[in-house]
Amino acid sequence: MTSLTHLQRLEAESIQIMREVVAETENPVMLYSVGKDSAVMLHLARKAFAPSPPPFPLLHVDTRWKFRAMYEFRDQMAKDVGMDLLVHINPEGIEKDINPFTHGSAIHTDVMKTEGLKQALDKYGFDAAFGGARRDEEKSRAKERVFSFRSAQHRWDPKNQRPELWKLYNTRKHKGESIRVFPLSNWTELDIWQYIYLQSIPIVPLYYAAERPVVERDGALIMVDDERMPLEPGEVPMMRKVRFRTLGCYPLTGAIESEADTLPAIIQEMLLTKTSERQGRVIDHDSAASMEKKKQEGYF
Amino acid sequence: MPDNLNKRRHEAVRLRLDGHTVAETSQRTGLSAPTVSAAWKAFREGGWESVDVRQRGRRTGQTPRLGEAEQRVLRQCLADWPPSPQPGWSSRELVERLAVATGQKVSTRAIEHWLAAQGLKPAPVRLEGLERKRSAAGRWYRQQVLPVLEQIKQANGTHWQGGVRVAPQAHDDAPCRYQLYLHGKRGALLTRCFTEPPNAGYYLTLFERLATAGPVALVFHGAFFRASSEVQAWLSEHPHFHLLSVPADAL
Repeated sequence: MTSLTHLQRLEAESIQIMREVVAETENPVMLYSVGKDSAVMLHLARKAFAPSPPPFPLLHVDTRWKFRAMYEFRDQMAKDVGMDLLVHINPEGIEKDINPFTHGSAIHTDVMKTEGLKQALDKYGFDAAFGGARRDEEKSRAKERVFSFRSAQHRWDPKNQRPELWKLYNTRKHKGESIRVFPLSNWTELDIWQYIYLQSIPIVPLYYAAERPVVERDGALIMVDDERMPLEPGEVPMMRKVRFRTLGCYPLTGAIESEADTLPAIIQEMLLTKTSERQGRVIDHDSAASMEKKKQEGYF
Repeated sequence: MPDNLNKRRHEAVRLRLDGHTVAETSQRTGLSAPTVSAAWKAFREGGWESVDVRQRGRRTGQTPRLGEAEQRVLRQCLADWPPSPQPGWSSRELVERLAVATGQKVSTRAIEHWLAAQGLKPAPVRLEGLERKRSAAGRWYRQQVLPVLEQIKQANGTHWQGGVRVAPQAHDDAPCRYQLYLHGKRGALLTRCFTEPPNAGYYLTLFERLATAGPVALVFHGAFFRASSEVQAWLSEHPHFHLLSVPADAL
């Protein structure tokens, strides 16, 4: 009898979850945020259904404020894997020109991400959506089940979750309900990096340390990715060697100073770190229990 | 001092005691003739204990250190522009300022040691090494830097290298975390420190001070000037000032 490594166990678990969803639901979709977790999730989906491409499309809920490198990477990946890529931008957000600078991170996230996601799920009638969230990212994500049920209004009730004993998943749902499925729930950030390294999974270059123009905002290093980033009067961005542990909208994502420009160096850094990757996300610090509140309202 | 040398000196003395000449001893021990003679002389004057080479120089940790008051004066100086039209503080100017403020005369070397201990002494970048590189940085040096340096040389202008950085040993409660530094022709360091990332006003003061000496080429690392409209406007008004920003990850 062969024993599996911890990564092989996690991989097997994720593949089982994906196959279960495809077998039990009618119209699944994989949310693709272009980050490292999405890259691993996509890789697992391709493995789960090989040699065919995965039997569901990719959905990117675009806020128009992602890093340029992320858009380039997204389009390239969609071309390479041969899957349908659906991109949805909240039309109300475009109309009102919602952005993180003039409207603040809370409104921007609510309109462009939460509402945008709900619109896209309704528009295409998806009844299950894979997401790359992990329990170690944030405490409200830690208590969410692998199969997380949402009401017809896409709301999450953390006090009404189904037990998942012995990894048996109850996929029955009422009319109008949908499921958010998290195949990477039990992975840690370190597992993700080790898996990316072992499987040579392509990721956005922003994860590697390089000299980039940054400005300091409330103690966070914010990269100046394009001319839309408003600078303070007289401000000159500094070139500093930084990398991103997490990628979101660029004005709301803080970089960290790092010398890790290879995967082994990143893994080494991960082994020594004592903070969550989401400390760099401005939206997580909007208010107390911010993430749980957003999730109840429909955020991923 | 390596033990090996002392062993050879002892061996040389033994050979001399056995009646070997200086030349023979030198040949057999691999020491020079003057060293053999010096070891022999030391033995004759002080016995075997004198043969070993004594520790030279000051012992580690016995360096006279600048007092807290002097260090405070230096930090205050660095947080402002020097009174001279120089674009930053040189160690000589810091010595003079310290003498005026505290009455204490220290050497420029002591100041340089202090700067190094504070992590404020960046090494000058050897740009010449890029000339033969077949990378983007090499192309930048050959196509953008070399022609400008040639032009400046013909116009009898000056050439500087510099940058801005977060001081490597800076900690959160350090008053000055950001350092502006320049290296002149022979690698002499001129510097200034800031509590916040320097803004366009500070850079323009630096450029103005540099531009007083005629045409200037400044190869600068660590600032993204393309995003600063103030700097771009100033540069367009000063065609004799050539600002060459080092590309990302070139150094």
